Amino acid sequence: MTEAVASPRAAALRPGRAVLIAAVLAVALAVPLGLDPQGYPIRVLTLTLLFAAMGQAWNIVGGLANQISLGHAGFFGIGAYASTILLRDFGLSPWLGMLAGMALAALAAAALAVPTFRLKGHYFALVTLAFGEVMRVIANSWSSVTGGPVGLSVPFAPDSLWMFQFGAARPYYYICLGALVAVTLVFWRIKAGALGYRLRAIKENADAAEVIGVDTFRAKLQAGLISATLTAGLGTVYAQFSYFFDPDTIFGVATISVRMALIAIVGGVGLTFGPIVGAFFIIPVEEFANAALAGRAAGLSAFVYGAVLIAVILLKPEGLLALFAALGKRWRERRR
Amino acid sequence: MSSGASDYRSKTFRLGRRAALAAGGAALAMPFVSRAGFAADAVNVGVVQPLSGANAQFGINSRNAIEMVAEEINAAGGIKSLGGARINLIVADSTSTPTTAATVAQRMISQQSVVAVLGAFASSLSLAISEVTERRGIPLLTMSFTDQLTERGFKNVFQIVSKGSVLGRAQVEDSVALARENGEEVRKIAILYEDTAYGTSQAEGLRAAAKGLGLEIAVDEGYPHGITDVTPLVNKLRISGAQLVFPVSYLNDSILIVRTMRQQGVTIPTVGGAAGYVIPDFVQALGDLADGVLSIAPANYDQAPEYTERFRKRFGYFMVHEAIEHAALMGCLVGALEAAKSKDPAAVREALLATTFDSGWATVMTGGTVKFDATGHNANAFPVMVQWQKRELATVFPAKVAKAKAVWPKRG
Amino acid sequence: MLQWLQALVDGVLVGGVYAIVSSGLSLVFGIMGVVNFAHAEFLMVGMFVAWFAWAYLGIDPLLGSLIALVVVFLFGAGIQRTLIRPILKAPQVAQIFLTVGLLFCLENGALLLFGANYRSVSTPYQTESLRLGGIIVSLPYLLAFLMSGLSGGLLWAFLRFSRTGRAMRATALDPMAAKLVGIDTDRMHQIAFGLGVGLTAFGGAVILPYLTVYPAVGAQYVVLMFTVVVLGGLGSVAGAAVGGIAVGVIQAFSALVFPVQLQNLVLFLVFIAVLALRPQGLLKGASA
Repeated sequence: MTEAVASPRAAALRPGRAVLIAAVLAVALAVPLGLDPQGYPIRVLTLTLLFAAMGQAWNIVGGLANQISLGHAGFFGIGAYASTILLRDFGLSPWLGMLAGMALAALAAAALAVPTFRLKGHYFALVTLAFGEVMRVIANSWSSVTGGPVGLSVPFAPDSLWMFQFGAARPYYYICLGALVAVTLVFWRIKAGALGYRLRAIKENADAAEVIGVDTFRAKLQAGLISATLTAGLGTVYAQFSYFFDPDTIFGVATISVRMALIAIVGGVGLTFGPIVGAFFIIPVEEFANAALAGRAAGLSAFVYGAVLIAVILLKPEGLLALFAALGKRWRERRR
Repeated sequence: MSSGASDYRSKTFRLGRRAALAAGGAALAMPFVSRAGFAADAVNVGVVQPLSGANAQFGINSRNAIEMVAEEINAAGGIKSLGGARINLIVADSTSTPTTAATVAQRMISQQSVVAVLGAFASSLSLAISEVTERRGIPLLTMSFTDQLTERGFKNVFQIVSKGSVLGRAQVEDSVALARENGEEVRKIAILYEDTAYGTSQAEGLRAAAKGLGLEIAVDEGYPHGITDVTPLVNKLRISGAQLVFPVSYLNDSILIVRTMRQQGVTIPTVGGAAGYVIPDFVQALGDLADGVLSIAPANYDQAPEYTERFRKRFGYFMVHEAIEHAALMGCLVGALEAAKSKDPAAVREALLATTFDSGWATVMTGGTVKFDATGHNANAFPVMVQWQKRELATVFPAKVAKAKAVWPKRG
Repeated sequence: MLQWLQALVDGVLVGGVYAIVSSGLSLVFGIMGVVNFAHAEFLMVGMFVAWFAWAYLGIDPLLGSLIALVVVFLFGAGIQRTLIRPILKAPQVAQIFLTVGLLFCLENGALLLFGANYRSVSTPYQTESLRLGGIIVSLPYLLAFLMSGLSGGLLWAFLRFSRTGRAMRATALDPMAAKLVGIDTDRMHQIAFGLGVGLTAFGGAVILPYLTVYPAVGAQYVVLMFTVVVLGGLGSVAGAAVGGIAVGVIQAFSALVFPVQLQNLVLFLVFIAVLALRPQGLLKGASA
């Protein structure tokens, strides 16, 4: 779906692009200075960055390994629960809790790989969907540890980097920006590296890849583990940022799993900047719809959400980035 | 994407465009800034309710009540100690997602400088909002049941209803007392609850009360919210020998359970746990089957008909409990604004803690007056037992506030 | 012992409905090769059609099920033409997310049109039951089971003996060859999709007497339906029948052993296990 845009050289960083990236980063670093640190706009921007990072983590399996996961909320929730429970019961810093959550998620991903490694396409999507639901039911039922359906509150603490807690959104903004940059770098490294080539070979033709000596199970497992681990880390960030979560939200099919995939797909599956563009489209549109409609038409925003998904797939399955590229090309040609 | 062909445009222009794009999200996100300025002396009050999603019905009931009270106050001259300032409601949809609830609360606090937030029916939503309001020092007035709300040491949460555990305890103790009045000694009970925040916390109260009274819990089953087949549950109930059943659920499951019990000829008295058992849809769906079904309730409309009938007249259905409680919260907020003589949230908070609210809409809650204790919980509230009689909900227990005599279901 | 017998009876009755509801999903996959994630939403649409037929025309949902079948057949055929056909040859990512998008649109479209309220019908038989010895047979469950069995039989006969049905099966086996012998495969796909969602809607209508309908009701059936078709083998309509009964009985028995709260967990684990061990279905080889 993506190869038309992402040529094999795509990973090579051209000087022009490097300057552009530096400029965008500089702007991203400067923007919060002009905003109310406790305000609403910065909160929306922070959520956008966080979801961009989540879309990027999904992009590693969904875009590079071509494994359509509908259960990433499972890993996301593992991260959120692990750090919050460790904080609640042992006062452990969420940064350490994050590492624990990432390790747990890696274990879960490895366990999930056993029944899924032979599965492709629809079957893989179905099993991952069920995996996310299994995690939700467990969190819901195992009340003594998870707090059950009531959900978990992050214990209140004064502003502290070590305890990962701030009253204002500005520090979270920078943390989410850092997370997005980190996940994007990981994605880019994989895509440009040997694992990326192996995954691309599997995507093109799994049997042929096997014949030329690619260990397909290993390659997919590596991608799956990295993606799950990063997703869990972001789950901790989310928990600390929203201070409260419950099983239905954190393991939500629509709120997390599908949204992660949607962000990558809308922007451009498998492209390094796809999820970023996707998140900066989807999240503000959602916020705007909620603010503008305020419940006067219940369900309209989710309806539009579905319609956007359908429209993107029918009209431009390669995503917005490809659309921009096409429009830009046409515009330049007309100017000539 | 900006491929190699960028050479003919100046870099600065591109940068400007990117910056504009980045800021675009922010610009998009504040469509109503201009609105905040209107009526300079009005008091902005935030209303966050689930207006879409699974709890939409309850959110809409709540909003109706809040709007009605606000209109009444404004029609009567607004907040007198603030020179007749009008109440200006800022209504927003929390959907059924806690994150969204927190985000919209954040939005109204930073953009409309609300003095307080009312919300948001479901416990999970109120908990999420409280995390925001607490950090911003804005009072959150709520009728969510869960014990957690006022047990985390928060200073800005005001909970007007009896807590979930208290409701659960009353559900057991009151019905055992009622049974005794009707000549039946209860030894065995059954608990069926949906595994939501509301269901599980109330079930805990039920268990604690049963233990306290030395009752045997013959069935104790949680089930997934939205269950499509309750036969296994009712099968267990039928052979358990329980003398009372306490189902805790929203409407869908309550309809299924009552019908399936009838199908299997299970006639033991049913004492619901508010929510689905005390709304007009319950009797609409079940018709005569509803008659005689009991339920615990944090408030009931027959306690203050002179007020609640205004709601029925305007909206066409009786004033459901969440509407009563939100109206009472609005009454308290108005009282606090009068006492504080200020639009400063901190002053309003002080007034909420210091005042005993004994006039206007604040009196419709059980207890007749509202007084918040140091944790922000309304110490005067107590649960009542209600029963469906001739398609209306009548308060039947405790005796001091009962409006009708309980009809104890005949065992057959 | 009686408990287990009762659970068996309940499980088989409920399973019969699961079977007819899921056979539609299996049909669509079998003939078009598309996994329709939005399929359960058509159950909701069918329930709404039957509810309106009951509320405004006074038609009992058991008969209203036929209206639901026809209405949703046409609706589904239209959706197939506009949305599904363009992505038949697209990568699976596109197929999966198109149907996921459709799921959101249908559920929230219903919310926009009808509101979030729970609606139910009242019929004279809905609180009745038959007693056989110590066993209680719920009448609405029994009627839903019989209606499902009847329509299942008709579907089987249609696929087996009618010209269209045989052409559809040929399309499923080898679309190229089917085209060569003059079968309009496009049309077959359209009929298959319409019939698939129509059957599911029919199933939704016959269970309305003992359930309530609301926009999100489909979500309760998504994993259940996929478990049924995976158990029976994706694409096998006969398999869906066996899978449906199996799932019904598994659910009923698990309620005796585990807390009811874990009912879905048991289902999910069965689902993952079957996909991992025998993705072709438990019956593949035994039946087609």
